[in-house]
Amino acid sequence: MTEADHLAAFEARISRGEKIEPGDWMPDEYRRQLIRMISQHAHSEIVGMLPEGEWITRAPNLRRKMVLLAKVQDEAGHGQYLYHAAETLGATREEMIEALLSGKAKYAQVFNYPSLSWADMGVIGWFVDGAAILNQTMLAHCSYGPYSRAMIRISAEESFHMKQGKEQVIVLSQGTEAQKAMVQDAINRWWWPSVMMFGPHDQDSPNSPALIKWGIKTKTNDELRQDFVNQMTPEVFELGLRLPDPDLRYDEASGNWIHGPIDWDEFWRVVKGDGPCNAERIAARTKAHEDGLWVRQALEAYSLRETGAVAA
Amino acid sequence: MTSGDTQWPRYQVFHQEGPDRPHVNSGSVHATDEEMALQNARDVFVRRPDCVSLWAVLATDIHSLTAEELEREGLPESKNEDGDAQTYQVFLKKTHSGSHGHVGAIQATSPAAALAAAVANYGSQGGIVWWVVSDTSIVRTDPGEIDSLFQSAMSKPYRSQSFYHTVTLMRRLREKKGIRE
Repeated sequence: MTEADHLAAFEARISRGEKIEPGDWMPDEYRRQLIRMISQHAHSEIVGMLPEGEWITRAPNLRRKMVLLAKVQDEAGHGQYLYHAAETLGATREEMIEALLSGKAKYAQVFNYPSLSWADMGVIGWFVDGAAILNQTMLAHCSYGPYSRAMIRISAEESFHMKQGKEQVIVLSQGTEAQKAMVQDAINRWWWPSVMMFGPHDQDSPNSPALIKWGIKTKTNDELRQDFVNQMTPEVFELGLRLPDPDLRYDEASGNWIHGPIDWDEFWRVVKGDGPCNAERIAARTKAHEDGLWVRQALEAYSLRETGAVAA
Repeated sequence: MTSGDTQWPRYQVFHQEGPDRPHVNSGSVHATDEEMALQNARDVFVRRPDCVSLWAVLATDIHSLTAEELEREGLPESKNEDGDAQTYQVFLKKTHSGSHGHVGAIQATSPAAALAAAVANYGSQGGIVWWVVSDTSIVRTDPGEIDSLFQSAMSKPYRSQSFYHTVTLMRRLREKKGIRE
């Protein structure tokens, strides 16, 4: 079979809705795009622990503290599921972590914003996890088996992440004037970074056509973003809260909420490393990795003593 | 990154949701030894109360064949068939949306022979991926330790979305405002 025959057979499998598994023939570009996407996704889960982790010790009561702890712990686990999925394509854990710590790898730009008040825990859960769930629900249908399975598991577990956040926003929005002001401030700061999470507009998204052709993505960035704006806007208004977009309007003809222009200069600045917390996030991950070195060395020494060699 | 600082060998993990259910592939963890592999598997894959047993096996000890490989290249060649037969556990991915689940055990003299037997015995209703693993390569959680390993997940109902009543809260709010749905 020629390369072209293999490619035709591969694309026929995708159009029949089959999942591609490790061992199956796949184009190099399919493998490359998946490693890029899945490792970025894994890094996002890991870095995503940081803005919320800061508030665990400052939770207002034990219930909120246990919930936040459980959510952050889930994110650590989800990072592991995703690194595993990338490993099935030949990427190694070492090179992925090296890429993150050296600043080469990207991750969701939204985690480079600071979490300034307790209300951020509610708004991050509702908006940021809400946006992530829309993306992950789509990716659960992805053509690559291990990625799809990781997404199914993650989506099931993350449904509580969004609901605990939304619950907090509802409670704060019906609370004292100070609580209302605090949650409105959090919404003002997190709305646009959340809207940007879906990535560039379709016409500016160079990877999208290949990703859609090969069934990695089944919706475009703008379609997902529209779903998000439609889902969030009416409920934010029902709570008596506002969104920081003076151009936001309801379009009767399409039934869509149409958002105003997105500040793409800000988006690219934050993606490329110059957001409010990029340096702080990478410094925190580097410190965690370096502080763990003695543990890894001790485990290696123990394993060598017990077995004479590390299992290979 | 320090030279020689590795993330350790990879173990595939299988979890069992109930006593009469098959072990199903959950994903993988890195560990220096079998004990740590099971411990990490518990921490990574059992944050919720849906597990009664875990198996772990070094990823390099799994012999895999996909239906696509079978069609493209045929069965892998068995070389030395003279050895003693041993037990191989067979995992099958039956549907495109599913995971690799344990379907049974077979006797074979080599991994390639085990794969051939797995295809013959467990492929009649269509298989998508076959994994065979020598039974001695699998490390299993001790049934006596089920409580200490898995019970703690039972007391955390807040990990489930049903713990949060956002729909009710929104409805009450609408009623208070006199808005009818």
